[in-house]
This record gives sequence, structure tokens and C-alpha cells, in this order.
Amino acid sequence: MTYMAIPNIGNYTIALATAVESLGIKAWASTATTPEALKLGIDAAPESVCLPLKAHLGHFIEADRAGVEYAFMVNSVGTCRLRYYRHMIGQILKDMGLKIKIFGLGFDGFKPPIVRYFDPGPITFLKPLFHTVLKIKVIDELEVASWRTRAIEITPGDTTRVMNKLLLELSKSKTMAGTRAIRKKVAGCFAGIPADKEKKPLKVGLVGEISFLRDKCLNKNIEYILGSQGIELRNFFLLGEELKNISRIVLLNQNRRKSLSRIADLYLQCSVGGHALDSVAHSIHCADEGYDGMVHLCPAGCMPEVSVRPILKRVSKDKDIPILEMSYDEHTEGVGVATRLEAFADVLMERRKNTSLTR
Amino acid sequence: MNNYGYLGIDVGSISTNGVIISPEGEVLHEIYLRGKGNPIESVQLCLAQLTAELPDSFRIKGVCTTGSGRILAGAVVGADVIKNEISAHARAALHLYPDVLTIFEIGGQDSKVTILRDGAVVDFSMNLVCAAGTGSFLDSQARRLNITIQELSSRAMTSANPTNIAGRCTVFAESDMIHKQQIGHDQKDIMMGLCHALVRNYLSNVCNGKEIKPPIVLQGGVSANNGICRAFKEALQCDIIIPPYNMVMGAYGAAIIAGKSCLEKTKFRGKEVSTHHIITKGFECGDCPNNCEIIEIIDDDKLIGRTGGRCGKWEGKTGTRESLKRTGPAGPVSGHSTDRQMEDKTCKQVDNVPDLIQIGIPKN
Repeated sequence: MTYMAIPNIGNYTIALATAVESLGIKAWASTATTPEALKLGIDAAPESVCLPLKAHLGHFIEADRAGVEYAFMVNSVGTCRLRYYRHMIGQILKDMGLKIKIFGLGFDGFKPPIVRYFDPGPITFLKPLFHTVLKIKVIDELEVASWRTRAIEITPGDTTRVMNKLLLELSKSKTMAGTRAIRKKVAGCFAGIPADKEKKPLKVGLVGEISFLRDKCLNKNIEYILGSQGIELRNFFLLGEELKNISRIVLLNQNRRKSLSRIADLYLQCSVGGHALDSVAHSIHCADEGYDGMVHLCPAGCMPEVSVRPILKRVSKDKDIPILEMSYDEHTEGVGVATRLEAFADVLMERRKNTSLTR
Repeated sequence: MNNYGYLGIDVGSISTNGVIISPEGEVLHEIYLRGKGNPIESVQLCLAQLTAELPDSFRIKGVCTTGSGRILAGAVVGADVIKNEISAHARAALHLYPDVLTIFEIGGQDSKVTILRDGAVVDFSMNLVCAAGTGSFLDSQARRLNITIQELSSRAMTSANPTNIAGRCTVFAESDMIHKQQIGHDQKDIMMGLCHALVRNYLSNVCNGKEIKPPIVLQGGVSANNGICRAFKEALQCDIIIPPYNMVMGAYGAAIIAGKSCLEKTKFRGKEVSTHHIITKGFECGDCPNNCEIIEIIDDDKLIGRTGGRCGKWEGKTGTRESLKRTGPAGPVSGHSTDRQMEDKTCKQVDNVPDLIQIGIPKN
């Protein structure tokens, strides 16, 4: 069997693994970067590049060691370094003398090179793609349900376990019918978790760089830490939403970015690359929606996110919404992250108590 | 005098501090110990010295640990509450000065600013990925000049004409200091310049964008340095309050938190803990590719807690290794009392799920 290593983007890796089947090969990935892979990446990459590149690079090195022949890396058309990731990673892997062959998602004619290379038949090609879209939808639903339930669960860990069980089933599901059956189960499974329905949990929005929003190895399991302190989350990266956005651009020429820039207009008039505009727009949006706070995840040296940091400070002041800034690099310790998040939760709790007293 | 009180322990990167307070919140005993690289021994020593002067009838009704080593310390002494140091410091400052609006806290390896309004924390900030401008830096510079940190403090105060030192980064600050020293600047001026650089760096990095309003309380290990206090006063043009227990405010706050958490029965393992032989043992979990290294804390052959896992199935639990293996993510990651056995009866059927799902491992 031929394997292809694909980037880890959190739980969505499960869906992307299905997409790889459309090429008639199998995917090699996991739902979080392993600490071992991260170590390999840190050793191989230049010191000053951002942590997501190191994580992806390490993942591909690990793949090569496991005997995987091909790798796939997205090229973003955005203006951040992600655009050069494929070239950088490809070059580093070549310099290291590894045999793994890396593909990008580029077009140079009717068929992308990656499709031409494996040349699958039309049915092999299309069916898994529909399946992928379905899986992405299911994972979106799972994520949204888990953010809500984890904050109000009575026994800590229940939500995570239910979620992981469903994800495991999803990763094993080979047919559309099987995936649809899982989709039907989602609501019931989460409703079955004993929870305190009366509780009004604190609401916090997560914004920032996408690898950090998704990969729990990189962000030190931030969703879990916040959730287990009784905080309801909204993570502003859902792959389903991103896909809808792409189809909207293609079909209706309606860019979500336009609506985001309308929200952020007072603070940021141009796109600074990456998901920085999203961070600003979502923070403003959340403040208006009555969220209790925001957490901004930013890898040290991430140009787009670092540039919007002062803007977020201003938003925080104008809109009176606390924004916690988290800066990550390879030396970031889980304890430090947990300390900040705990203190942040304390602050939000006290704020809520005070506002309810004055009202 | 009451015959009971509360204990707070702050295990920081450089020092281990302990405070015992009366139920009214008065400090009965305090201790500041420079750590010697072994947090468990430091905590034991701290406990032994704190309780040595207490009468036998004195009972400790609650224990709270804080600081970066709070989970380990909590397991060793048997803490009722484990709290982050930001909240602990704020609690102590609020107790002494109810109208405080800003707290500066500079410790061994991290520096924080806490903004309070109407007696409640509304915002805080902590140094992110750089430890420039913390106690460790002052320490190493004092060592390089071959003087004690106390001497650095007192000599800096005598400077009338501080040297300007680049404070953006500790390495550049050091080379700039060497340069200034080589071209003949007086040592006391360099020291005061160093204090100014540290304060400037702190104000522009940690306090960036925060509204700094007096009254300001300065606490943490570095607050004992008069040069730093002077530099803060000159930079902000206002008075800085140094609280009476400035070195042990974290532990004091922790003790107050323990006192206020209405405990029925404490989990404190008694002052005899200080004489026990406590060791740690590490092993790799191996249930998923995260391969967390789990640390077991063993007190005279009896397991008293575990730390180091990511998914929470090991944290603070004392069951046997075999019974916990492959139980899947459950339980809190941190910030909760240790020794709390989780009852997983509700979700038994969904066990055996790793923290991380791997797709397509080639069989070779």
C-alpha cells in the first residue's frame, strides 16, 4: 500500500485522510503533532521560523522514517509564510537527504500535478471527495457540540471521551452510509452526557493562527483546559466554514473576507495576511455579541498575528472585552499556559460577578 | 491566640516560600527560602522551619499551594486548594491594601502586572516568551560583578548619575554593561543603570497598553531590591508601595485563599511530612503517541500522586498503574485538588480511547 503524509490539522485530519483515498492511496497522519515529531522538526528547521512550520516539517520527517513515500502540503494564497512552507519543507527534506516526495496543491493546466501523478479513475477520484465533505461537516458538528457540553458537564472528561470515541468511529468509517449514521448519533451522544443545564458558563472566543487553533499538541490542549474550567468556547476555525467560503468565492463571487473587513473597518482596512483580519473582526463581533473574553493564540514570529496585536489591545479597550494574548514557541511550557488560562478564568468570573452586582 | 490557622506555600522558580496565617488573616510565621533545585526538599524544609516554632496544639485547617511547582507541592503536603500565582498575589495585595489599582510582581523567572478596579482583578499580563528583566538576570549580573544581590541593591541607591544601559534584551544589556564598564563608568552608576533598564523593559513589554494607575504595589522577590523601587518611582513619577511581606506575598495570598475556601476537613498530611523520605519516579505512559512522561510521587513506598500527563488520566490519582492504563482522557488537567479519584461510571462503555488518533501506520 502506498502512503502519503498529510499535514495534521487537528480533528479535521480524519476527513482529509479520506480525501487522500481519492488518489487511490492511503493517508498517514494523526490528529495532533506528536512530541517526537515536534522535536525532529525543531532540530531540522532554522531557529527563527514559526512553530507550525517546525511541526509540519517534523511530521514529514517522522513519516519518512516510518517508510512513507509521499507527502502533501497546502500552499496558501495568503500573504504569510505558509505560502512558502511547501518549498521550504521540500528543500529542507532534500538537504537532509530524505527520500520522501512532497506535493503541493498547485495548478499548471487542467489537472493538478498531484492528480496527474497518481492518475486515479474518475469514480475513485470523486467518491472520497464527497465523503470528505460529509466528514468535515460531522467534525464541525462534533466540535461545536463539544465546546458547549464540556463547559457544563458534571464529570470532568466525559465530553472528551464521547468526542474521541465518535472521532475514532469516524476515522474508521469507510462508507458514506456509515458516516451518515455517525452524524445522526452526534446530538444524542452529547445530550446523554450528564450536565448541569441550568449553568450559565462564561463564553470565550478563540482566535489566532490556524495551526494553533487546531493542533492540541501545539496549543497545549487549550480547548480542554478552558473547557474543564467551565468556559464555553467558540473556536474561530471550522473547516466547513472555510470550505463554504471557497465555494462562495467560486460560485457567487462573495468573499467572506469582505464581510469581515466591513466589521473590522474601524480598526484595520487592509488584509495583513494569514488569519489576522479574522482575529480582529471576530474579536469585535464577539464583544458585540456579549462574550466574556477572547484568547488570541499567536506563534512567536508570526507576522500577521503579531501585527494585529496592538489593534486587538485597542479593541479590548474600546469594546471593554478582556483579550488574553498567548504567544507560543517551542519553549512554551504547559504549566505556563495553564497558569495564564486559570488566572484569565478567575478574572472573567470576577468581572461577571461585579457586573451582575451593579445591574 | 487562636490555636488554628492556614498554610500557604508558593513554590517558585528561584525560591520556596511559606506563610502561616491566623483565621483573621494575620501573618503568624513566614519563611523565604532560596530553592536549591529540589522542590520537594525545599517544600519539606520550608514546612519544617515554619512549624518548628508552633505549639503542638496548633492545628492547620487548610493548605493552598501556588507557584509553578504548585501541583508537585500540593501532592507532597496534601493541599486543599491549588491556585495560580496571579490570583494568589492579587488576593494578598487586596487584603493589605483594599484600594490598590495596580500590582507589579517581579519574580525569579517571570514578571506580571495585574490591573485591579474596585477591588477586583480586571486584567493581567505576564511576560511572554522572554525572561528579560526578571530576578534571574539581576542575580546573574550581580554574580558576574562578584557582589551579592543585597550589595547591588544598596550600592545602586547611592548612584547620583545612572548610566544608560540598553535593556531590550538581557544579552545585549550584558554586553552594553561590559562596554560601559570598560570605558570607565563607575560600578554603582552601572548598577543603577541596570535597574533603570530592567524597569524600562518591564514597563514597555509587560505593561504595554495597560492603564497603570496608583496606588501601585510592588511585590515578588525583586521588590526587595531598593534600586528597582527607586527606578520605578523615577520612571512613573509616583509612589510605589512595598508591602510588609513583599517577598512572600504569593504564599500569603495562598494562605488567605485556603482560609476563605470554607473547608470542612483539610487534606493536610501533617507537619511530619517534612521528615518523610519522598522520591519521584518517572515512567512513560505509552498509551498514545504523545508518550507523556508521568512522574509518580512516592512517600515511604506509598504512592501519593502523579503529575506530567496531558490527557488528565494520571493527574493526581493514586490507583495502581495497571488500573489507570488505557482509561482514556478524563479528569482535570490542573488547577484542581489532587487526590480526587474520578468516578467514571457514567461513561464506562466509551473507555479505551487515546488522546490522539493515528491514521494509517504502515505495518513494517
